[in-house]
Amino acid sequence: MTFGQIALPRPAPSVLPGFGLTMGLTLTWLSLIILIPLAGVFITSAGLGWAEFWRLASDARTVAALKLSFGTALIAAGLNAVFGLLVAWVLVRYSFPGKRLLDAAIDLPFALPTAVAGLAFTALYAPNGWLGSFLAPLGLKVAFTPLGIVVALVFIGLPFVVRTVQPVLADFDKELEEASATLGATRFQTVRRIVLPALMPPLLTGFALAFARGVGEYGSVIFIAGNIPYVSEIAPLLIVIRLEEFNYAGATAVAAIMLVISFALLFVINLLQAWNRRRIGLAG
Amino acid sequence: MPGEGARRAPVRIDVEELGKSYGSFAALDNVSLTVRPGELLALLGPSGSGKTTLLRAIAGLTATEEGTIRFDGEDATTLSLRERRVGFVFQQYALFRHMTVFDNVAFGLRVRPRDERPRAGEIARRVRRLLELVQLPGLERRFPSQLSGGQRQRVALARALAIEPNVLLLDEPFGALDAKVRKELRRWLRELHTETGLTTIFVTHDQEEALELADRVVIMREGKVEQVGTPADIYDEPATPYVCEFLGGVARFETNAKDGEADILGSTFPVESDGDYSGPALAYVRAHEIEIVSRELAQGVPAVIRAVRPFGPTVTVELSIEGRAERIEAEVPRELHSGGELGLGQGVFIRAVSARIFPVI
Repeated sequence: MTFGQIALPRPAPSVLPGFGLTMGLTLTWLSLIILIPLAGVFITSAGLGWAEFWRLASDARTVAALKLSFGTALIAAGLNAVFGLLVAWVLVRYSFPGKRLLDAAIDLPFALPTAVAGLAFTALYAPNGWLGSFLAPLGLKVAFTPLGIVVALVFIGLPFVVRTVQPVLADFDKELEEASATLGATRFQTVRRIVLPALMPPLLTGFALAFARGVGEYGSVIFIAGNIPYVSEIAPLLIVIRLEEFNYAGATAVAAIMLVISFALLFVINLLQAWNRRRIGLAG
Repeated sequence: MPGEGARRAPVRIDVEELGKSYGSFAALDNVSLTVRPGELLALLGPSGSGKTTLLRAIAGLTATEEGTIRFDGEDATTLSLRERRVGFVFQQYALFRHMTVFDNVAFGLRVRPRDERPRAGEIARRVRRLLELVQLPGLERRFPSQLSGGQRQRVALARALAIEPNVLLLDEPFGALDAKVRKELRRWLRELHTETGLTTIFVTHDQEEALELADRVVIMREGKVEQVGTPADIYDEPATPYVCEFLGGVARFETNAKDGEADILGSTFPVESDGDYSGPALAYVRAHEIEIVSRELAQGVPAVIRAVRPFGPTVTVELSIEGRAERIEAEVPRELHSGGELGLGQGVFIRAVSARIFPVI
């Protein structure tokens, strides 16, 4: 640690030792797992040169795939925020037969191989499938369209919202609702003005997680999407296609754009969270 | 609300044969009680005695199975929480964390139906006046997390008062505060009660708090009302052995009564019962009711001084007597101490000046 003593102001000695060791391990681990691979993406795509990179990035097929990936992930995360909240509410607030079974089933999308889910959805929603055959006469096509992608992503993302909201709702102080009621608020006013604001932080976190998962999802989507270029071809699939063409530069260009957009969106969500915390006087 | 037009007449509350059970546990067992208009009433009892359940039942937060609650004669059990207009202050205050102090206090006004809701300017005026009343002017824009415990308590009170309640109910209002703030807030709550004139009920497990603050005290035990009375009534004439022990500061003696009288510490006192009771009895003697008699007189019971605590207006002496494991505390005048008569290990005589004796049934 002589280097540390000379180069850096030494942090005040803590009663709880181990900062140096744990920080070192953390940084090593993060570097190996996250930072170095991500840097690789940028270095490879930097080798393209700016003009070439821009040509690949503004390619109509790439743009369509990116729009589709981020668009469907946002819609699915939004749907999950609404219905995940509902599921969490029912699971926390009411007791009914089969509740524990339902609670356990929420985690299925975590455990199920995504390809299995994709196959199941395709079988269900294909024009001759169980559900698809009822929807087809209504002019509603789910499988092999962006709508199908949203369905798959809703499935994949649901547990993220439920599992982040559930513990916060379970810990929610019932007295706050009682206080609101004695002050004359209707049930609707109590939920909207007292309960929902308290659930905003976990809801945002759940939304962000579901969204991030949705952007990166591959296995379940490629089965139901149909993968028609410009229509239902997602960005991760485009990366795979470029790789199969041995077009490594093209693949990393798409990857780099995805990284930047994902990072920007997650950053915005984190800013929102921090703003929300500061707003209620819980700085830091 | 002071100065808010004509002050409404305070409300009288009648609790009639109220019953509530959780499974086989009776939280409230046939409780009847009248709260006089404008009085400050304490519900006193240990945890599990049903005092909080009773308070919540009056507020309408807990549904009861039997009996009725009337506000000025009107059956309140059929009213919604909004219609009851009860100002309830929770033990942990239950302030809305994501709202400023101003928004917390204004909440009850803002959630009113549109045609009853005051205009924004009027709400602001009322909130400011309430914050002045609870002595927190200028803190409108703070969040609850930025306030001390005592300040949160006052915000909770202002919020409850904002709806111009029929009655004010407080659940362990000083439970979460430290000793010094408690004393201050206690005096202040008494003043606030005088100022608002509201019928007010508070729950406490602290007998000192109840006796010092309330106009009348209700002592509860296992879901039943044990005794109702003014602090003086309760202190001077505790109705049951339970009340004696709950108020504390007493020595308990098991004795035998004969023809309606019992001997205790060298004196004879009547038993609190009709007729000439003979049989086992319980006697309670307060520390200041025990006299240390000088050795020359040799009256009462011989005792040995085990400890002396010479602070406060009186001196507390711990004594042991033969045939009794627990020590007896006596509060004696300071002169006795400064006179040097209270040496450790010294033998003295003690005598009861008064006592309450209950038959054991």
